[in-house]
Amino acid sequence: MISSAVALRMEGVSKAYPGTLAVDAVDFEARVGEVHALMGENGAGKSTLMKMLAGSFCDYTGRIAINGKEVKLHSPALAKAHGVGMIYQELSLARPISIAENLLVGRLPSRFGFMLDRPAMMEEASRCLERVGLDLDPKTPVDAISQHEAQLVEVAKVLGNDPSILVMDEPTSALSRDETERLFAIMRKLKKAGLTIIYISHHLSEIFAVADRVTVLRDGQKIATRDVGAIAPSELVQMMVGEKIDEFYRRRTATVGRTVLKVRNLTRRGFFHDVSLHVKEGEIVGIAGLAGAGRTEVARSLCGLDPVDAGTVELDGRPLRQGSYEKAAGRGLYYLSEDRKRDGLFLRLSLRRNLLSALIAKNTTAGFHSDRRSGSTADAMIEELEIVAASPAADVGNLSGGNQQKALLGKWLAAEPRVLVLDEPTRGVDVKAKKKIHEAVIGLADRSKGIVLISSDLPELVGLSDRVVVMRTGRITGELSGEALNEESVLLAANGEREP
Amino acid sequence: MGCFVSDEFFTIKNQMGILNAVALLGIAASGMAFVTFSGHMADLSVPAIMAFSGIVTVAALPLGVVAAVGLGIAAGMAIGALNGLVVGLFRANPILWTLAVAFFMEGFMRFTWSNNQIYPDTAPVTAGAAFIGLFRVTVGPVPLIVVVMLLLFALGQVVLTRTRFGVETRLVGSSPAAAKTTGINVQRVVFVDFLAASVAASVAGIFLTSMNKLGVFYLGKGYDFKCVTAVVIGGMMLSGGRGHMLGVLGGVLVIGLLSNIMTFLGINTFQQNIVTGIIFIAVVWIQQSHLRRQGKDFV
Repeated sequence: MISSAVALRMEGVSKAYPGTLAVDAVDFEARVGEVHALMGENGAGKSTLMKMLAGSFCDYTGRIAINGKEVKLHSPALAKAHGVGMIYQELSLARPISIAENLLVGRLPSRFGFMLDRPAMMEEASRCLERVGLDLDPKTPVDAISQHEAQLVEVAKVLGNDPSILVMDEPTSALSRDETERLFAIMRKLKKAGLTIIYISHHLSEIFAVADRVTVLRDGQKIATRDVGAIAPSELVQMMVGEKIDEFYRRRTATVGRTVLKVRNLTRRGFFHDVSLHVKEGEIVGIAGLAGAGRTEVARSLCGLDPVDAGTVELDGRPLRQGSYEKAAGRGLYYLSEDRKRDGLFLRLSLRRNLLSALIAKNTTAGFHSDRRSGSTADAMIEELEIVAASPAADVGNLSGGNQQKALLGKWLAAEPRVLVLDEPTRGVDVKAKKKIHEAVIGLADRSKGIVLISSDLPELVGLSDRVVVMRTGRITGELSGEALNEESVLLAANGEREP
Repeated sequence: MGCFVSDEFFTIKNQMGILNAVALLGIAASGMAFVTFSGHMADLSVPAIMAFSGIVTVAALPLGVVAAVGLGIAAGMAIGALNGLVVGLFRANPILWTLAVAFFMEGFMRFTWSNNQIYPDTAPVTAGAAFIGLFRVTVGPVPLIVVVMLLLFALGQVVLTRTRFGVETRLVGSSPAAAKTTGINVQRVVFVDFLAASVAASVAGIFLTSMNKLGVFYLGKGYDFKCVTAVVIGGMMLSGGRGHMLGVLGGVLVIGLLSNIMTFLGINTFQQNIVTGIIFIAVVWIQQSHLRRQGKDFV
């Protein structure tokens, strides 16, 4: 029930950060009862535009009107009062506390003005859960429910404040296909009830599944707003990148050498069981599986970052000591973290320092360390990966997501690994950065390095890997390669629908 | 500014006096800087380490000055090693843990030495006399403690910028989790950082004991906070990974100058403490708001 009534109108809004104009005179309009997708590469300005709407900045310029009334969104409280609800990738729920308390935080019903009114709380919480189609006991702690349910509880929590505009920033990144479908069904229900939803996502398929209109941003500027029904995916991608990109994946013929990494019967109770795999020089081995299949857990344990209960790992024919990542890294087995901000990059240090951080041991003689021994390695990496930064001395934390991810990869490229374990190497990065990262990974394999690749991006996993090992509920269920390796076969195997 | 306060301010005697007065603080702060730099804020057991190394040195004087000083430093390092082990390996909160160690050590020292001050035998030509003289030794015109302080800062600067350990400390201070996935032995780095703090505190404690001619559990009181203040005024971020040793030396000198000027003005010690406290708050506030303005208060 899309009416022509405008719920949100932003006129000529801009926001500058030191050195960059993140949002540059953007006009944006969302109608009552529509799902309006916001697309663009990383650094295009989507997040900044939405933060503006959420009241994160008191120094934006331009005009914002909600339901025809001009408003100033200079604080999160003001934004909330004007009916803006935000759902971020990271959930804002307090884990050990009950769903009900999470839902009603800030507006808990009370008796005599100071006693918590439990029955009223449970009743109100049930009503909130019903709106998002969840049949859960509100007394359950958030700890005890699944990621997907937590996501919906978050939606219910925000809806509790009665917003007229709901912003969802990559809400499906932690959800499986089924769970995504269920979220979409609820979104459709909500928009029928007159809610305006602004939806940010990198997944084209999701946009076409759920959105009515789409607005594309590039380099802080608005490119266009179009009806989703009247635009082709390739056209949308074109608008995002601004130039024609060639076919993404080219089948390469790997020249494989000796076995460099051998994992035998690795087990960590409660996480994964009896995992065996091997990687040869010059080979890219993918690990496929749904969220919760244990891919990351296997990767971390085989590198020595997490403990194991049984099994062995051999690098170049010699066993690795378990639970000692320093030893593994010293011998050239590196792990690229799935979360660059948490345990990948040194955000407050310079790009150069980050790129050279894995070379410290190499640049040390008799305890003394000098970057000069690396010569122009950092500059070479910046050039090779086309990392965009003011200078090599710029803080990595100030770079855009795609460039941060390139820097993270550059750190390991500089270290010349024997085996590199890549955990979601292109999560949340734009198309161009993704291409660059893929080229670098293939280049690494061509230089006879072994690569283990974990990715939830199916085309990427299938396109880059020479072989794919499929995991399901903590066990390896099979292996796909050659003709048998395609997106469909991997997906079916990961879901346990078909024996690979 | 000092020259307006007193004609004596600019005399070499006064300037050397300032250096002399801040030397103990400087020595202790040069070690504390490693802990702050590694992202562990502060080692609050510094006063306990100072007192303990002093007491042990005095108690061990019958073995000779050199052996006694060696044992004193070793005693202080034992505490530092314990700190490094517990904070590094078991990830204890550094503030709470070192506070607990300080509390424990005070009790331990009062119990062991029955709450007494212990005095060295100061008869001429004994180890005790030599020990008492330690604080008053000069190298040419410069007091030994000033030389030691400057040496420690120079050494600290070289270690932090030119050695593997220093660079790794910077990475650990910036993000321990990222340092771990980079292949750095985070536990070992943190261990050595706390050990460095304890060595410096032990040296300061032994000089302080020599100056006071007695060893007692409360020597070193107040040095914990004064060290952190010097480190922070010197531009080191409490959150770790940013700053350098020469800045910390600057911070130490600022504190020395301030207290010298305030003394000339006739401001008493308690009021001076108030001023130091206010300066600390102001500096931390400026650091934080600076970070926030740049949108860098992540981590």
